[in-house]
Amino acid sequence: MARMLTTGQAINEALAIALESDPDVILLGEDVAGGGARSAEGVEEMGGVLGTTKGLVKRFPERVLDTPISEMGILGTAVGAAATGLRPVAELMFIDFLGVCLDPLLNQAAKLRYMFGGKARVPLTVRTVTGSGMRAAAQHSQSLYWMTAGIPGLKTVIPSNPADAKGLLLAAIRDDDPVIFCEAKGVLMQRGEVPEGDWTVPIGQARIARAGGDVTLVAFGATVAMALQAAEALAKEGTEAEVVDLRSLQPLDEAAILSSLEKTGRLVVVDESTPRCSIASDVAALCVDRGFDFLNAPVKRVTAPHTPVPFAAVLEDAFRPSAEKVIAAVREMG
Amino acid sequence: MPKLGMSMQEGRVVAWPLPLGARVERSRTVVVIESEKAEVEIEATASGFLRHLYVAVDETVPCGSLLGALTETRDEPFDAEAFRAAHDRPLAALAPAREDRRPAPAPAAPAKPGARRAIAPAARARARELGIDVEQVAGSGPGGRVVREDVDAAAARRRDRVEVAPGVALEAPAAGQGDPVVLLPGFGSDVAAFARQAPALAERFRLIGVNPRGVAGSDAPADAAYGVATMAADAAHAFAGSAHLIGASLGAAAALELALAHPERVRSLVLVTPFVTASPRLVAVLEAWCRLAEEASPTALAAALLPWLFGAATLGDERARARTARGLAEIAARVPAATLARQAAGLRAWSGTRAADLARVRAPTLVVAGGDDLLAPDAEAVSRAIPGARLLVVPGAGHAVALEAPERVNEAILALLAAHP
Repeated sequence: MARMLTTGQAINEALAIALESDPDVILLGEDVAGGGARSAEGVEEMGGVLGTTKGLVKRFPERVLDTPISEMGILGTAVGAAATGLRPVAELMFIDFLGVCLDPLLNQAAKLRYMFGGKARVPLTVRTVTGSGMRAAAQHSQSLYWMTAGIPGLKTVIPSNPADAKGLLLAAIRDDDPVIFCEAKGVLMQRGEVPEGDWTVPIGQARIARAGGDVTLVAFGATVAMALQAAEALAKEGTEAEVVDLRSLQPLDEAAILSSLEKTGRLVVVDESTPRCSIASDVAALCVDRGFDFLNAPVKRVTAPHTPVPFAAVLEDAFRPSAEKVIAAVREMG
Repeated sequence: MPKLGMSMQEGRVVAWPLPLGARVERSRTVVVIESEKAEVEIEATASGFLRHLYVAVDETVPCGSLLGALTETRDEPFDAEAFRAAHDRPLAALAPAREDRRPAPAPAAPAKPGARRAIAPAARARARELGIDVEQVAGSGPGGRVVREDVDAAAARRRDRVEVAPGVALEAPAAGQGDPVVLLPGFGSDVAAFARQAPALAERFRLIGVNPRGVAGSDAPADAAYGVATMAADAAHAFAGSAHLIGASLGAAAALELALAHPERVRSLVLVTPFVTASPRLVAVLEAWCRLAEEASPTALAAALLPWLFGAATLGDERARARTARGLAEIAARVPAATLARQAAGLRAWSGTRAADLARVRAPTLVVAGGDDLLAPDAEAVSRAIPGARLLVVPGAGHAVALEAPERVNEAILALLAAHP
């Protein structure tokens, strides 16, 4: 049976199921236990900066571990643990902190299986919060999933709703390769139906979030809601948009993108990140390269501009993609 | 339609001062248009002959629409539809106002001769698949880009064309489902003459209209005459097996000719204001018709024809008269003077050749006559000469009885078709 949960609650449920079903699973990160071990002293645990892991330390006190404030420490520990038999879920509080812990991911986690001829494996999951919209300023609001998606050896997934968050996280934890699990700020507080029990969503399969024949809107994470909102408005004008929710950025479901483009002939890709070297540009290149004869209009990219994320609320809102910008792009392509 | 100001989106054709077929000198006014309450005389940018008018007087069209065609010489081969496909570039409707205050993207530069046209890859691919020359397809996308839908539309138009002889294709638009009913329009007219029959008939039948040679988008081979037997043979290419035929005036002559030549292909015959021998008045009116088409605008031609074609009922109603004159002018604009001359030559050659053959008609026949018809006064005699023919006479209606009294005419046609499925 499905219940209404927030994405944060769905992630918490997935973590509990993973911890319960596999004794090798551990959680580690800044405040993921959050003082929970001291609840006897009347201390209310944090459960991470956004409360996502709240309550888990009480059920699994040995396996939910607070770390020092050192991302290099967290990732170094996690990659080592994964390479030597555990199945760690590390929390990188914001993807903006990738810079201080890139080497364990880029040169160790992503390379070990390849360089040891398949004899080593790194079943690591990195949960990390991405995106703008929470007035968290330029150093805590970036959408750097394009960096991890661009490193061979890493997988990167990004759910757009609570059900996919649960299913993709369980699939990520059970995957024998390192997976970056992105929690978009705009999605974390979203509520939706979530299936009960042990339930996974396969990594690498896009989802048709809305069917339509006139234009394809490719979206992922927080932009799926924008695309769906734009699609409803466009439908009132007689334009039926198909919304493709990528769910996984690497591997990328190229077949789903191309088959929707073949049907509609028009494609807009909506990406929260800045445009250079982005998933948006990557999808556009795919369409031109392998979907050329399907194109009935130029591929449009709706992204943030090439600037840091502004702190001022008005500017941050203007910086973000939106349903209005998607509608304008669809109208512009004719 | 030229775009004369920043805000001009459409314009109305006020007058075509020169008749179709006329010699046009460079810098001479070729068309008068109205934009934003000002009338503007548009000068020809090159000398030539006015060969086709795509937009009738009083019609309002978006800027960029093709208004007319000039050719260098009077008689060079000219495909009106292909020319239109290559040059008609109506501006897309304005997008609804939006909040976005970014400056609008710079408009695409006007197409220069020889400039590369924007063609969407999907349009190219579809054109390859359908065997269509994408360079000849008009674009409806932003900045005139040819999109996949344009190729599909061009293919649909091509499907409506029937090749009746090597290199000669006629427009044969079709509608509805059921047994085939073929519509043959009269002198100087296209299938729009059956506009008031089509909706009622298309509910139960497959309607196939045939625009004769030289009419509207049909090809116009440079023959001296378009004979009635050729017209009948052309019509026979528009359908397979057998069909019900409805012909008006000269179209009735073609229908009769087909019924005599190939009785097995004619299930029933509706002859609207038919004649077998052209009356002296008809011959004189046709002569004036041809001459006016050469020398006057379609509007003037329509005004002159109106009292010859319509009965007292239409002429006595001022609004009906104005509306009818506009419709007639639109049809006239689609039939060049050269076609009229060729049809008239064919009609004169045929006149009197079939008077004795009416008794041989085997198809169940309905003859429709106008009580006020000045041009085909022997319609009733035709009816009497065809064995078993039914006759409907509509009092007060003229030669264009099918347009003037559609209810009664349609009722009689449907009754005949129902009796002879």
